[in-house]
Amino acid sequence: MTTRAPLLAARGVSKAFFGNPVLRDVSIALQPGRVHALLGENGAGKSTLINLLSGALRPDSGTIEVDGRAVARMTPALARQAGVAVVQQELSLTASLSIAENIGLGAYPKRFGLVDYRELAARAKAACKLVGLDEPLSTPVGNLALGRRQMVEIAKALYRRPRVLILDEPTSSLSATETKILTDLLERLRGEGVAILYISHRLNEVMALCQHVTVLKDGTCTADRSLEGTDAAGLVRLMVGRDPGDLFPKWQPSLSPAAAISVAKFSAGLMRDVDLDIRTGEVLGIGGLVGQGQEDLLLGLYGAIPARTASATVNGVSGLPGGVPKANALGLAYVPADRKREGLHLIHPIITNMMLPAFARMPALKLRSRKAEGEKGKSLAAQLAIKGDLQRPAQALSGGNQQKVALAKWMPHDPLVLLLNDPTRGVDVETKREIYLMLRAFAAAGKAVVLLSSDTPELVHLCDRVAVVREGRIVRMLERTVLSEEAIVSAAIGAERRKVAA
Amino acid sequence: MSIIPSAKSTGALYWPVQARRNIGVRSLFLVVLAFLVAYGVLFPGLFTASGFAKFTQSWFPLALVAMAQAILMLTGGISLAIGATVSLGAVIAATTMAGPLGVAGGTAAVALAGLGIGAATGFIVVKLRLPAIVVTLAGSFIIGGAALLILPRPGGSIPAWLSDLLAGDTPAAFVLLVVIVLLWKLYLATPLGLSLYAAGENPVGAYRSGVPVDAARVAAYAISGLLSTGAGLFVAAQTGSGDPVIGTAFTLNSIAAAVLGGIGFLGGQGTMRGALAGSLLLSLMISVMFFLGFTPVAQYVAQGLIIIGAVAIPQFRKVQP
Amino acid sequence: MTAWNDSAGGRRARAILTSRPFLTLAMVAAVWIVASFVSRGFGAYGHLRYLVELGAVIGLVAAGQTFVVIAGGIDLSVAAIVTVSAISLPLLSWQADPTGLASVLAVLALTTAIGVVNGLGVALLRVHPMIMTLAMATFLQGLLIIIAGGSAVTAENPLVHWLGNARPAGIPAGILLWLAVSVIVLTVMHATPFGARIFAMGANPLAASLSGVPVTSTTLTVYGISGFTAGLAGVLVLGMNGQGYVGIGDPYLLASIAAVVLGGTSILGGLGTYAGTIPGSILLVTITALITVVNASPGWRSILFGSLILGLLLLSGREQARR
Repeated sequence: MTTRAPLLAARGVSKAFFGNPVLRDVSIALQPGRVHALLGENGAGKSTLINLLSGALRPDSGTIEVDGRAVARMTPALARQAGVAVVQQELSLTASLSIAENIGLGAYPKRFGLVDYRELAARAKAACKLVGLDEPLSTPVGNLALGRRQMVEIAKALYRRPRVLILDEPTSSLSATETKILTDLLERLRGEGVAILYISHRLNEVMALCQHVTVLKDGTCTADRSLEGTDAAGLVRLMVGRDPGDLFPKWQPSLSPAAAISVAKFSAGLMRDVDLDIRTGEVLGIGGLVGQGQEDLLLGLYGAIPARTASATVNGVSGLPGGVPKANALGLAYVPADRKREGLHLIHPIITNMMLPAFARMPALKLRSRKAEGEKGKSLAAQLAIKGDLQRPAQALSGGNQQKVALAKWMPHDPLVLLLNDPTRGVDVETKREIYLMLRAFAAAGKAVVLLSSDTPELVHLCDRVAVVREGRIVRMLERTVLSEEAIVSAAIGAERRKVAA
Repeated sequence: MSIIPSAKSTGALYWPVQARRNIGVRSLFLVVLAFLVAYGVLFPGLFTASGFAKFTQSWFPLALVAMAQAILMLTGGISLAIGATVSLGAVIAATTMAGPLGVAGGTAAVALAGLGIGAATGFIVVKLRLPAIVVTLAGSFIIGGAALLILPRPGGSIPAWLSDLLAGDTPAAFVLLVVIVLLWKLYLATPLGLSLYAAGENPVGAYRSGVPVDAARVAAYAISGLLSTGAGLFVAAQTGSGDPVIGTAFTLNSIAAAVLGGIGFLGGQGTMRGALAGSLLLSLMISVMFFLGFTPVAQYVAQGLIIIGAVAIPQFRKVQP
Repeated sequence: MTAWNDSAGGRRARAILTSRPFLTLAMVAAVWIVASFVSRGFGAYGHLRYLVELGAVIGLVAAGQTFVVIAGGIDLSVAAIVTVSAISLPLLSWQADPTGLASVLAVLALTTAIGVVNGLGVALLRVHPMIMTLAMATFLQGLLIIIAGGSAVTAENPLVHWLGNARPAGIPAGILLWLAVSVIVLTVMHATPFGARIFAMGANPLAASLSGVPVTSTTLTVYGISGFTAGLAGVLVLGMNGQGYVGIGDPYLLASIAAVVLGGTSILGGLGTYAGTIPGSILLVTITALITVVNASPGWRSILFGSLILGLLLLSGREQARR
């Protein structure tokens, strides 16, 4: 142990929301000149711990210490004074303001009571240089891609010259180059004596960058030790509590030659002139880099955005559905990626969420039977292992359980084609496993599953075929026999073509 | 990619930022310009001193209430009490200025009333967390009632010299508007003023960044009240007297002008220059109707249609593939 | 005690006792009791019955408003629609219509159509509901002055007269009408898929649409309902007043929104019930009656009215922040 006092520490903190304990007796100490990794599944309590450290929340018990002295009431203002800067997952930026105005927000240099734009420009420029942002400082943040915005957020933290820098999944939307810039920067800041808390799901980054690790599982601390002599598999065991190997169900072919959906020259949103056959009994993966038009493909088929096609057959009916109610009637169901914005009605009871597609299809003025709904909801909850009172609002559920509800609501309708948009994003490992089992079972029952995913291992282990999308076209259809992470990635970035040409 | 030269010397940041803000409203500016030219061709009187004075005078109160509404909408708020506040400003002006308080005292009373009402509304909406729509709707009854108390029926008077100065053959309205816009620019250059956008668009992020979100929003309501009673003062000077319901139409017109100018309902979207352009556009339309001999009632009907049309058409185009 | 609290029935009872509709009802009762002691004659059965009858007009307007607000919108044109109804009814009276039913139906069809036009603007043209309905109100106000001018019109319609004055079994017909509408509204809202769609649309329109809710047609229907109930209120107010004039509907804009919000419906949409709007409406007429008792000038009345609504909102209308 070092004898120096940590710059920022939590001692035995606990926190509960509405009676649900989220953190139990957790301690963490951020030492100067050290990159400290904080690992844990979604819902393990990482965000809550950050919020306690930065004063956004107050612990129910335990203390927060700055420079070894306990702070009676930590507030965001006190944390800022103590030199704590947080890069949250949810960006704190304003799209209509320029890069410089965003970086200085809340801490503008002043002259005669006005914002000193000259000074702001100089200091923002310096912060931008650190993170490799070379766009004009006057560019509105709304014009930047997500990765660049993340860099602005980091520059905003650096602008405040922090002694303690907390980063919550900073690399999730960064390109490889940007990630490299960031890791180099963090190395340098560490050398200057900054204490860094680094949260990431990418274990290789953690192994390369961090010296010390704290692992949270279900709100308790399962490890607080040096990273030396630890391997990635060991970390996963600490996070999950079991071996990572058996995540995916055994793959068994259930493919049949019958087509559930077939479209020719299909265009919707970014997608241009795509030919695609989706067969019954298969899990068809959709891969590629983020934002190449994959989502538009699903939404277009589902009738949620306008689409054109030369010819189309959907479950034996020719023509595209052209509207969501029509698509539902044809046996299509769609599970969106963004549960909170697109998938669920967070303020409504779980059971109402589950019944909504039924309400959308029933005759508008037919009397509802609360009793039948309750029984249906109970059986769905049992089927998908959703625990607890179904009258609670959906926002009371963890991310994984919310995803299960988003899936469950389609089950009573026995959809023939399930369109899934990144169903395991931000979902804990256990739920992932359950979802995978469900999808395979679904395909085995002779239905079609279209699985859009940003998680490449998932595509490799689960799918019968994977369509790789680049710039609005399906550039490669990989059959099961040639399916590998390398094949998907190289098709996604267009590397294979060059190889062939060479 | 960008037309604006990047800030090579770090000193020049303010102007590129300002220039950037024009990009979103460029097409609106073109439309307004086209309308102005058409208007000038139809009614060449616009280019005489008195024609210009008359035109800017009819625009001025609308410009002020558009700004009053736009400030609130930028912070994610709204006011349905703008019309009543304009009326109150008008009756205060008409009852104080000819009396012992004089023009200076009357102006101060109008300003204080506006700031006070705005700050109180802001406090209720922001600190007590009541929905702005309902608070300002109830507020419109309270404020309108106060106007009725002060002046139960049209009357009072404004010193003739003030009416002549503001609403005679002088460009005073235009000059005043320029001054108000400059003051706004100054406010937007203060940390509190610049926080408006962040407080409206991303209040949580702004709070985490150390922005005094609540203060910025309450201040916006206060400024909005000040602009509204100011518009009332001007309207009273135009008519030479006060009327406790003269401002009613300004509620809808302020929202319409702001929305025409590209201000969004969700907060942080749009610019004040856009709202001003929107108010100018609306003012031009009203003037055209006036010159074409529409009765005030027919103007109501036409205005309802124009506002829906003007807001809907750009949306409609967006929906078409 | 604990056993009572933990039993299912106990939980249910507690949920009802702490629900917003019940709290609003309790507030009405409290105001009535206090006012009966303070002001002679206030607590007389006839007076209270008269209050409820007046409340029926607000309650009808607020029925449509509740639908619209729960669906995530707002209807600022209800006052103008009430006036349209009250003024166009005498104009639409035919000789060959002895009961007056045909003209009432014609007026209701007209006001429903106005509501549907609001819905078209909101759903298809994507105009913000506040702008759409405010512009509609402006448009209608102009139109009304053109049609009716400044003079009052008299209704000679038997059905309308009956609605405004008859008392079958001692209960004013207006209250009976309100009762019938309340039963239908509560059933549609809470016991049909259509009602569930409205709540879903108000809470999260995007998720509702991706779940197959026909958002466009539901929006049209919701604003159509608002036009219909405002029209019905106009018919009733005409019957009670005997005369219609421009501005007769004006008090009902704030009143309808206030009744909705006081009754616990979220102005942000997706949460609420008409069961709260009903006591909310009675609370509003009670306030108005108390203000009339005070016998103040129009200015003071307006101030009192606004202040009391604001005060009641402070007591009960605080919005929970949503993520």
